Amino acid sequence: MAGNGAFIEFQDLTKVFYDHRSHATPVVEPLSLSIAEGEFVVFVGPSGCGKTTVMRMVGGLETPTTGRVLVKGQEVEGPSREKGMVFQSYSSFPWLTVLGNVRFGLKYRRDLPDTEKDRIARHYVDLVGLTPFSDYYINRISGGMRQRVAIARTLAADPLVLLMDEPFGALDALTRERLQLQLLQLRNAERKTVIFVTHDVDEAVFLSDRIIVFSARPARVLRDVQVSAELPRERTMEIVETPAFRKLRREVLALIRDEELRTEAAEVAAAS
Amino acid sequence: MSIETYRKANPPTADRHRGDSAPAQSREGITRQVQPRQRAAWRDIFTFRAPPRADLEVWLGIGAFVFVLVVWTLTTGLGIVQPQFLPSPLAVVSAWIRLIEDADYLTHIWISIARVWAAFLISAVMAIPLGVLMSSYRGIGAVSEPLIDFVRYLPVPALVPLTLIWLGIGESSKIALLWIGTFFQLVLLIADDARRVPKEFIETGRTLGAGDVALMKDVLLRAMLPNMVDSLRITLGWCWTYLLVAEIVASNSGIGYELWTARRYGKTPEVFSGILTIGLIGLISDQVIRFLHRRAFRYLG
Repeated sequence: MAGNGAFIEFQDLTKVFYDHRSHATPVVEPLSLSIAEGEFVVFVGPSGCGKTTVMRMVGGLETPTTGRVLVKGQEVEGPSREKGMVFQSYSSFPWLTVLGNVRFGLKYRRDLPDTEKDRIARHYVDLVGLTPFSDYYINRISGGMRQRVAIARTLAADPLVLLMDEPFGALDALTRERLQLQLLQLRNAERKTVIFVTHDVDEAVFLSDRIIVFSARPARVLRDVQVSAELPRERTMEIVETPAFRKLRREVLALIRDEELRTEAAEVAAAS
Repeated sequence: MSIETYRKANPPTADRHRGDSAPAQSREGITRQVQPRQRAAWRDIFTFRAPPRADLEVWLGIGAFVFVLVVWTLTTGLGIVQPQFLPSPLAVVSAWIRLIEDADYLTHIWISIARVWAAFLISAVMAIPLGVLMSSYRGIGAVSEPLIDFVRYLPVPALVPLTLIWLGIGESSKIALLWIGTFFQLVLLIADDARRVPKEFIETGRTLGAGDVALMKDVLLRAMLPNMVDSLRITLGWCWTYLLVAEIVASNSGIGYELWTARRYGKTPEVFSGILTIGLIGLISDQVIRFLHRRAFRYLG
């Protein structure tokens, strides 16, 4: 196994996008980072900075231009069940019920008998509190419930790492708050390693053990903030009012704000 | 949905009226203020993007048919147009009934329906997999799309001589013609339906361990199915157009042949009957597919 206990390891990872004229846009600068098992890491940064691209490379949905990502010592070569993904929207299948969607997470596991798959699916539907809605089709439930379905489905597949791409971005503030708490509970129960992308700094500080603040494109690590050193592991909504939380929030927000101002100034200069 | 919208879509029934009027007497006018302001129906009908008024819309549809019939009856009844150009509706209907009672005519109808469905099914069976593959693999798309686009723009009647030379005047030339007319259109429609499936669905499938074949079968096809059925329904309509071309040009059976024979003998009411038959078959098959669509895809509601 590579590194000292590193569960996910980025080794000199870069990504360059090419347009139809082979014009190159570097999206990720050489990035080296290691994430420990069970860590809840949040990626934040100005919009369009490439944080999602970095996460997608962990998921195998994007290929690095150079460098590589290791998950549990294995180089990522494509998407697989080990790297579970939750998207912002459009991820629950409308032609399946709530239970059907969660069971889909186990569809391609040949090692489990059908009865076991049913049991696991029901367990995860229950875990996200959707048992009364098991037989509902997706278009009949709310946006918050849909995201719970997506999370339950991903967890049912029992991935090594949970990758979440702004999963609560399209939800209203109250639903979002409730799902954040629920996610922390789930994560404590399942002991999963999580990488979570958001542009909401409050969400980042509230959920994370550790925040990686990215620069504007091309993405490079501006700051690696150990949140767990300053906030207790157990998070409740009250924590938002504590000085430690506010301090972290202010720091991270200032970093992103400066970065956005700097890029905007650079763009203005380039345009004129 | 606001109360107002709801009331508009569901005009108060006699029952609800009775329930409303009882407290109106006891509480003097309080309830009257709660009564929704009734807007004239014709206003809703002509308001930009107004809420639906299902009952009224059905009557307007029927009214349009009646209007055409009345104008038609008047034109023929007053002798404005000669009957050999435009027979009266009554003459058409009686000719139609006479034809329908004739077993031969029914056979012709069945032959036409069989041709349409044979060609349509062959097109669908070929177009669905190819369309899905074209949208899924760049290579297949790059090879097939320009070719298909080229054939698609050829007017089908221009290919009649070729199908006759190659396949003679039997069934195969007619089915080939219908196939040419529908397959190339359908492939592109199916490929578009497949391309419109959100990327997230595919990526979700991948991260849950689905391979290419499983993705196409369990995610792509399922996600595109409602749109695909619509594409098929539209294509079935085109099949009828090309059927008439095929049957008029070279055939001794089918509705198109009957229609053309009636013309040759100057039997205008029979010509109109043929048109009526085709229109009815089209209307019925379309409605049946729409009905099945609603039943099969309830989850979209």
